[in-house]
Amino acid sequence: MDQFLRVTGNLLEGFGMTLQIFAITLAFALPLGLIISFGSMSKFPPLRWLVKTFVWIIRGTPLMLQLIVIYYGPGLAAKWAQSLGSSFFLIDWIASWTLMERFTAVAVSFVINYACYFSEIYRGGIESISKGQYEAGQVLGMTKTQIFFKVVLLQVVKRIIPPMSNEIITLVKDTSLARTIAVYEVIWQAQAFIKRDGLLWPLFYTAVFYLVFSGILTLLFNYIEKKMSYFRS
Amino acid sequence: MKKVLSIILAVAMLFSFAACGNTTDNDVETTVTDSAYVADNGKLVVGITEYAPMDFLDENGEWTGFDAEFATLFAEDLGVEVEFKVIEWDNKFLELEAKAIDCIWNGMTITDEVNLNTSCSDAYVKNAQVVVMAADKLANYADVASMADLTFAVESGSAGEAVALDNGLTTVGVTAQSDALLEVASGSADACVIDITMANAMTGEGTSYADLGYAVELATEEYGVGFRKDSDLTAKLNTFMAALKDDGTLQTLADKYELTLA
Repeated sequence: MDQFLRVTGNLLEGFGMTLQIFAITLAFALPLGLIISFGSMSKFPPLRWLVKTFVWIIRGTPLMLQLIVIYYGPGLAAKWAQSLGSSFFLIDWIASWTLMERFTAVAVSFVINYACYFSEIYRGGIESISKGQYEAGQVLGMTKTQIFFKVVLLQVVKRIIPPMSNEIITLVKDTSLARTIAVYEVIWQAQAFIKRDGLLWPLFYTAVFYLVFSGILTLLFNYIEKKMSYFRS
Repeated sequence: MKKVLSIILAVAMLFSFAACGNTTDNDVETTVTDSAYVADNGKLVVGITEYAPMDFLDENGEWTGFDAEFATLFAEDLGVEVEFKVIEWDNKFLELEAKAIDCIWNGMTITDEVNLNTSCSDAYVKNAQVVVMAADKLANYADVASMADLTFAVESGSAGEAVALDNGLTTVGVTAQSDALLEVASGSADACVIDITMANAMTGEGTSYADLGYAVELATEEYGVGFRKDSDLTAKLNTFMAALKDDGTLQTLADKYELTLA
């Protein structure tokens, strides 16, 4: 019993880290994703290509690799720049790079990665709204901004809830990648018990934490979907 | 077309500027030595994993163990604080090169891989690789020749894997030595090759692996401390280590943690 409480305490501490990564990622990736989706639908081709290339790079490489690049990259680049021994301002600047905090690196990687996935969901939602909605707005003399925020956005939100909830539940589990750069989330804590005490069961016990949390999220999304059902589209 | 051309020219100019900087200021730039870098930081960041008896937490939550005590002594000698950082072992060389840590000091076997990626100190402790299997099967497999039909779980990239392959054994790579034990306990591998230190700590009474044991030792190996390539700290540690060996401090430490000095 004593052991069970000790394990639960340590895993809860790890799960606290998991939740922090989850909350920060959502808080920044949701708005950033919308901005990126505007970029990928821009009428100015160079911007559209730039954003689409960026989304391709982020969605096309493993999040684990992005974590490694964002955390270790600056330190390695600085070392390389120092070895050049040049005083050209750009090289000099790179040579002064230092590592960011491990948690910051995790937050940056997750926010960028998830914002790119979210942006495609937003784009799908926005492009699915029929032209008639925009035309109706124009007839009523609304500006483009008014049409987007007052007519289109809420309908988009309703349509993208199912794919969003999918992605958000994936995010809960993806947080376990943070241990790649030694951010001590719940799986790391469980593996520490294997290495330190020869205890295997804490690793399997972590499933309970993930299941409870994703269960709560599922209920929350069901509730939101019901609340949104007044749009009959 | 004109636009593309102008962009290419602009980039070319940027590079030529960089080249200029290179030729004029090459000899002005002085490289900071690694010991100066550590002194400037005021701390030596030691990359470890929880690995008894080298590095583990005592009841007060402080790092202790052979390597932890040894590293603390070295940091004192350098006049800086010591900071232990638990890292993902697979990324140890990345951590070191990117200066997230200053040395890898965690019962690390000196291998070609280590020598290629770090400036490694002299060996300080000896270890052996042992074959761990179900304790009741040990009597049937007294030497390597009798093990030809078995499957061995090994940590990918570990000294245990190298030894198993040298002996022509069939191996399955896993991510950690503890996972190799798990393979054996679950029956998906017949045996595993891990450190004797690990085997002593993780198998037998009072662990999840009470019914595992070992009899055959495959190879002896030596532990070293990895510093950044071209670091001047390697030489400093070697000198310091020789002094600790002479005055018996290191032997006392080895006796305390039941280790054999190299």
